[in-house]
Amino acid sequence: MSNVINEANWKFHWRLTESAGIMVYLADFKGRRVMWEGSLPYVTVDHQQQSLDVATEASEVHGPWWVPLGTRTIQGPVRVQTFRGGVELSAQFQAGPYQYTQLWRFHDDGRLSPWLTIYGPGVHDQHTYHPHWRFDFDLDGARNDAFERFEGNHWHRVETEGWFPYGGEADESGSVWRQVDADSGSAINIRPHSWDDAEVFAIRYHDGEWAPYSPRSAAGSQPFPAAYVGDEALDGDDVTLWYVAHVHFDQSFPYTAGPWIKVEGLGR
Amino acid sequence: MAAPKKAVKSAKSSKIKPKSAASGPAKIASKQAAKAPGGRKTPDVASADPTLFDPLTPGEIADALRTLTEDRRLGSMAKVGRYRVICTEPLVIKPPHWMAGHRLARVVVYDYAADRTVDACVDLDAGVVSHLELTKSQPMLSRDEEALAISIAMTDDRVRAKLMLGDVPQTTMHYWGRNPKDISFARRSAAVIFGRSDGHSSVVAVVDLLDNQVTQVVPAEMW
Repeated sequence: MSNVINEANWKFHWRLTESAGIMVYLADFKGRRVMWEGSLPYVTVDHQQQSLDVATEASEVHGPWWVPLGTRTIQGPVRVQTFRGGVELSAQFQAGPYQYTQLWRFHDDGRLSPWLTIYGPGVHDQHTYHPHWRFDFDLDGARNDAFERFEGNHWHRVETEGWFPYGGEADESGSVWRQVDADSGSAINIRPHSWDDAEVFAIRYHDGEWAPYSPRSAAGSQPFPAAYVGDEALDGDDVTLWYVAHVHFDQSFPYTAGPWIKVEGLGR
Repeated sequence: MAAPKKAVKSAKSSKIKPKSAASGPAKIASKQAAKAPGGRKTPDVASADPTLFDPLTPGEIADALRTLTEDRRLGSMAKVGRYRVICTEPLVIKPPHWMAGHRLARVVVYDYAADRTVDACVDLDAGVVSHLELTKSQPMLSRDEEALAISIAMTDDRVRAKLMLGDVPQTTMHYWGRNPKDISFARRSAAVIFGRSDGHSSVVAVVDLLDNQVTQVVPAEMW
């Protein structure tokens, strides 16, 4: 099976990684470069102790854990299927009591859906999933990009790296964050799932700060991607975005987490 | 959220060049130059070679590991031999970096002797380690470490005493504790989940991979 897909106004490549699920790279929409690479570096899981003991109720006894989604946990092949108005990649992963379906959906109107369906059941019901997506968008070139956030009924330019949780405000299309190419005016709009409790980390791209092979940095330090956040300027440079969802398990599972992403302005 | 820190970096060989400090107009000019017809074309992300993302061949993996272990900066690690190769994958660096267009391998190793992670970029075209980071971060578990954790847990009397008929190892997770008093807070650890093949989990055993011993045995419903 070829790893180059040319469908629905998109042309992109993909490969299965060791730990970051299906990676999509060199993605173009209508012949223009949109993304250098995008992947799902990890899904951490937190379990909260099931106890009615008041003394221990508030404490988090155990830390998080995770297992790579990749060659060692995939169940069956990566599937490539067309649907009305688009094409999608999907793959199932399983590690003990954790099951996932990773999806990359590409629509002919410029929408892109990197999603993850989470099934559970976990080792018990009281647990929360934290899927982390990493996107290196290169709209019409890597440099001269900016990151903006919708707040106070307007789009605001973000000057420096940081952590930007969804605060409930969105523009008329539901977008909360966007990466803008200053040269062409084209933009990547990111709309979170309402129930993702989502946040975005915007980090200036550096060679050497590639997707880590674990969220775990040094003991007692911030995990990745927070460990990459400093106070460097974003405006006019190359930006890497991390979208992180926080999804508590409940009886309505399976649940599909992940953003809607829409490319706009490339046709100008 | 507390103020995050930059990842600690040390011992770089061919130091990755920092991003240009030029701003606005200079960058735009450079971008336009890249697209200028007739001029000398600067490499651009739009013309990247997709084959550089292709999986490494067995020979390329072997080449990368040989190059890494022959690097003088990792001489003691290679000599002691207490390390695990976590993974070896292709790495593609963006233009205008000087390594853009090179066939590169990213090799991640956990060095048990020094309790550190080696994150290296090997330039397969030049046969050199072109980027090296030594950190206290914890990479994912290798397949060997997953298997080792299971074998340690399976032979532990406290684990065996808690297993029910039909319980088998379901999976091994990369785990770290939140509490500084917890052994797994600072030491490389795995959590082996036991349970039935139908998916129900029964016991979690935390294994310290530095000392190869079980440090916690917890009923799954109490995890």
